[in-house]
Amino acid sequence: MSDATTGKFRSATEEAPLARWALIGLAVLGLGILVAAPLIAVFAEALAQGWKAAVASLGNRDAQSAIRLTLMIAAIAVPLNAAFGIAAAWFITKFDFRGKAFLITLIDLPFSVSPVVAGLCIVLMFGTNSLVGGWLVAHGYPIVFALPGIVLATMFITFPFVARELIPVMIEQGRAEEEAALTLGATGWRTFWTVTLPNIRWALLYGVLLCNARAMGEFGAVAVVSGKIRGQTATMPITIEMLYNEYLSVAAFSMAAVLTLLALVTLLLKTALEIRHADQLASTRRH
Amino acid sequence: MRSPLIHRSPMPGLGLSMGITLTMLSLVVLLPIGALLLKGASFGAGNIWETVNRERIWAALFLSFRLSFFAALFNLVFGTLLAWVLVRYRFPGRRILDAAVDLPFALPTAVAGIALTALYAPNGPFGSLAAAVGWKIAYTQWGIFIALIFVGLPFVTRTVQPVVEEIEREVEEASATLGASRFHTLRRVILPMLMPAALTGFALSLARAVGEYGSVIFIAGNIPLKTEIAPLLIVIQLEEFNYDAAAAIGIAMLLISFAILLVINLIQVWSRRRIGYV
Amino acid sequence: MPISLPQPAVTKDATRDAIMDIEIDEISKAFGSATALSPVSLAIPSGALVALLGPSGSGKTTLLRILGGLEFPTSGRVLFNGQDATGLTVQDRRAGFVFQSYALFRHMTVFENIAYGLNARPRASRPPKAEITRRVTKLLDLIQLPEIGHRYPSQLSGGQRQRVALARALAIEPRMLLLDEPFGALDAKVRKELRQGLRDIHDETGLTTVFVTHDQEEAMELADLVVVMSMGRIEQIGKPQDIRARPASAFVRDFVSA
Repeated sequence: MSDATTGKFRSATEEAPLARWALIGLAVLGLGILVAAPLIAVFAEALAQGWKAAVASLGNRDAQSAIRLTLMIAAIAVPLNAAFGIAAAWFITKFDFRGKAFLITLIDLPFSVSPVVAGLCIVLMFGTNSLVGGWLVAHGYPIVFALPGIVLATMFITFPFVARELIPVMIEQGRAEEEAALTLGATGWRTFWTVTLPNIRWALLYGVLLCNARAMGEFGAVAVVSGKIRGQTATMPITIEMLYNEYLSVAAFSMAAVLTLLALVTLLLKTALEIRHADQLASTRRH
Repeated sequence: MRSPLIHRSPMPGLGLSMGITLTMLSLVVLLPIGALLLKGASFGAGNIWETVNRERIWAALFLSFRLSFFAALFNLVFGTLLAWVLVRYRFPGRRILDAAVDLPFALPTAVAGIALTALYAPNGPFGSLAAAVGWKIAYTQWGIFIALIFVGLPFVTRTVQPVVEEIEREVEEASATLGASRFHTLRRVILPMLMPAALTGFALSLARAVGEYGSVIFIAGNIPLKTEIAPLLIVIQLEEFNYDAAAAIGIAMLLISFAILLVINLIQVWSRRRIGYV
Repeated sequence: MPISLPQPAVTKDATRDAIMDIEIDEISKAFGSATALSPVSLAIPSGALVALLGPSGSGKTTLLRILGGLEFPTSGRVLFNGQDATGLTVQDRRAGFVFQSYALFRHMTVFENIAYGLNARPRASRPPKAEITRRVTKLLDLIQLPEIGHRYPSQLSGGQRQRVALARALAIEPRMLLLDEPFGALDAKVRKELRQGLRDIHDETGLTTVFVTHDQEEAMELADLVVVMSMGRIEQIGKPQDIRARPASAFVRDFVSA
């Protein structure tokens, strides 16, 4: 709006330059210590004995199995949650019904439940001692201490991500375009694929990105339900814990570095989306 | 006249979207939480109280809540400052700084946990500096405090940022034309406008910290009565197949979470009623 | 003066201040490469009610903001009572400014809004609490809304908000009153009522008053002196009837006959 500080004059809505630089300095220093330092520490510890040791530690059988397991969990949990997110956003934004606010609160619930409590809930529901779990185990379908339990725990933790991103975007876009498509004779599916989806694709990608990052990194809930069986139910974060507790620092930090790279790529893509498609994102900022 | 449960609508897909939504919500979230509550109910309020009412558990719950509160308080101040700097100032590297705020959301908690421990352990770069002045960080409550600051960092910034963006310049100018110094304007006009959002961020940060597990257990030391957090107690009970006790502590924590959630909603209602916006 | 304003320590010559003449001497303003004001000069006699009239982009709001100290000129000087005020900070100018959006503080009651400028003073010159209450009550009477002190701005109508903004600006015992499109956000009926209200307040306080408008009828009806502006230049300065009778350019003729 105003042309900043022209010469000796300072705009009425600006702080003195000294105060401004002091605040910027504090922000940089704080984020440097709190965020940048741990980031550097991960890579420094991973490479403490050189590249070769780091890469070699990722090559052993348990590490490979952990990576495969984590990828598999994300490959199941993320699409399921994306499907849920789309369905929930459609249901909530295209229809008017009583209890909508309550439904949204329920969908948001996992954000305010401790991951450990989430894991506990799943153990109590599907553990061998429970009614459902006992029956399933007896018929050869163990949930807890097996893949389904880990997937369920991961889904619980990442449940709201996609829905929460899509709902505000779809509220903003309204129903007019879909209504137009319907009056032109399009079927419901066709309307969804050709009208709704193109309008929400970046928001969907954004939500999926966050959901995936959290799914691959989930620790607390998975720690409770996985049983931590090496080579079977140990995900990457669980493996990091086991290696770390065995004082295999390079191996633990090498695997941590892989997950850190994933986090950095996620942030990069997220920032790119925010810059290029800001108009189509509710962005996590508009809570 | 009561409105119908579901209004008639020409939109397609009501049955399908409602079906998927309610089925998955029940299966993934509601039934498991129900299982916990059911376990609690069958265990009985008296038994829950008896289980929770032990020194070690009170110590852990109190520790988790107290340190989370202080960490959230730190984030309230620092997060508001960050939001202000990121929205109002233009300087090289601002975008990177903005993206860096989200790292605690994106970085797996276990990774954060071991990284912070490496930094603050007595032989780590920060830990050895602190040790030089006789200050022990890792494996003490200080370590937990730092880990909880880390996980809660983005909340306040991300809730306050959009509010800073929406402040009308004219309001600040009005304050200046009335003779207020810049500092007075910041304190009396701008801070009160940011407060509801900042408090919401504070509560979110607090809720996250109270339940945090992965980033804390590595740096905590996990000494009973001293550096043992509440979520760890649940894990310990489960490892001993002590499901009743685990459920009792879980319910206590769930109640704390719901209380915080309620406070967030009250803040928003209060703010909306008073000044017409959140 | 009907509102007797006690003199605080910092403004020993408040009474003389209240009849302040304003001189704009070759003021220009550029935003980057865009020129908002070509050098303009204008003398505003003390106690006058002046309209800056022009279409959007004519530079009238920029000129008003320069008077208020919210914008600084690229070149030229502003003189208050013959003294150079160009470098005076917005806080030190004591110009009562009413914004187009009113810019009321949403988290404060009407009372707190009006008292804001007095409370913002350094402790040494801040009036005691009872005195602030007395003055705010008086101002609420002046704007004929004595009962609304405890309400929040979101609970007021548009016209009420405008009057509260005016009272807030008057509370600091301004040396002049500057209003940016004071009636712009109101519907036609309320607009007519409040025009008379502004005239009354001007006559009661005797303050030199400058307001910006794009509505020629409003300018003609209300102002003693009308300054017609276009594209960053002053096209004509004169009494309303003179401008109607003898427009100085084709632009003025077209604009005032619209």
